[in-house]
Amino acid sequence: MNALDALGNPIRRQILVELRRTPMPVGALAERFSISRPAVSRHLRVLQDAGLVVLNERGAQNVYAIRVQGFRAVRQFIDSFWDVALSQLEELAKR
Amino acid sequence: MIVKSVVLQCGPERAFALFTEHAGLWWPAERRHTRDAASTIRIEAGGRFFERSSDGTEVELGVVRLFDPARRLLLDWYPGTGRTNPTQVEVRFESVAGGTRVTVQHGAGAAGADAFGRNVSGYVRAWDLVLAALATTR
Repeated sequence: MNALDALGNPIRRQILVELRRTPMPVGALAERFSISRPAVSRHLRVLQDAGLVVLNERGAQNVYAIRVQGFRAVRQFIDSFWDVALSQLEELAKR
Repeated sequence: MIVKSVVLQCGPERAFALFTEHAGLWWPAERRHTRDAASTIRIEAGGRFFERSSDGTEVELGVVRLFDPARRLLLDWYPGTGRTNPTQVEVRFESVAGGTRVTVQHGAGAAGADAFGRNVSGYVRAWDLVLAALATTR
């Protein structure tokens, strides 16, 4: 799933809000949500695959944190959409 | 806010028609929602903005807020963020030497900001992250 699609889910956006405040392990994160810990883990996996969060080993615990580069990728995704779209439009107008 | 522009070798009326009636011809093939690379995409005066695949499946891509032929378009844009928090796209058509300048501005927009304001503050802050990404200087 790309970053924009990953952001399409309200729980995942809320997870990002929490992680933006402070990086934390999945257990601490799950306490802030009414959904189950495995469900939170699944959302984290989607966010991680989309490059929006990163898992850091901190001592014995794995801590999730926001990955700023991932948000830049969101911009690049939209950017490249319009680069391709407008160059195709340009060709179309020449016909 | 992402800003892109291109000069088309045609008049503003044709440029506007290509953009709205024939969006399926310029929309990137790999960014289709129906998985049909030859799907029809239309931006209509009546307000609909949708994709239709060859088997008839339709997907709403947004809402047309302003349809001012040969001049300006304002779209609520669902791809990526969904209909509950659309991004906003403004397209301007200007007559210039040699053709028509088409300028696309893609960002949160005023309508988007209003929509976010109706939701809980945390939700708005999450959107801030996306906006920060969108606002990065080119």
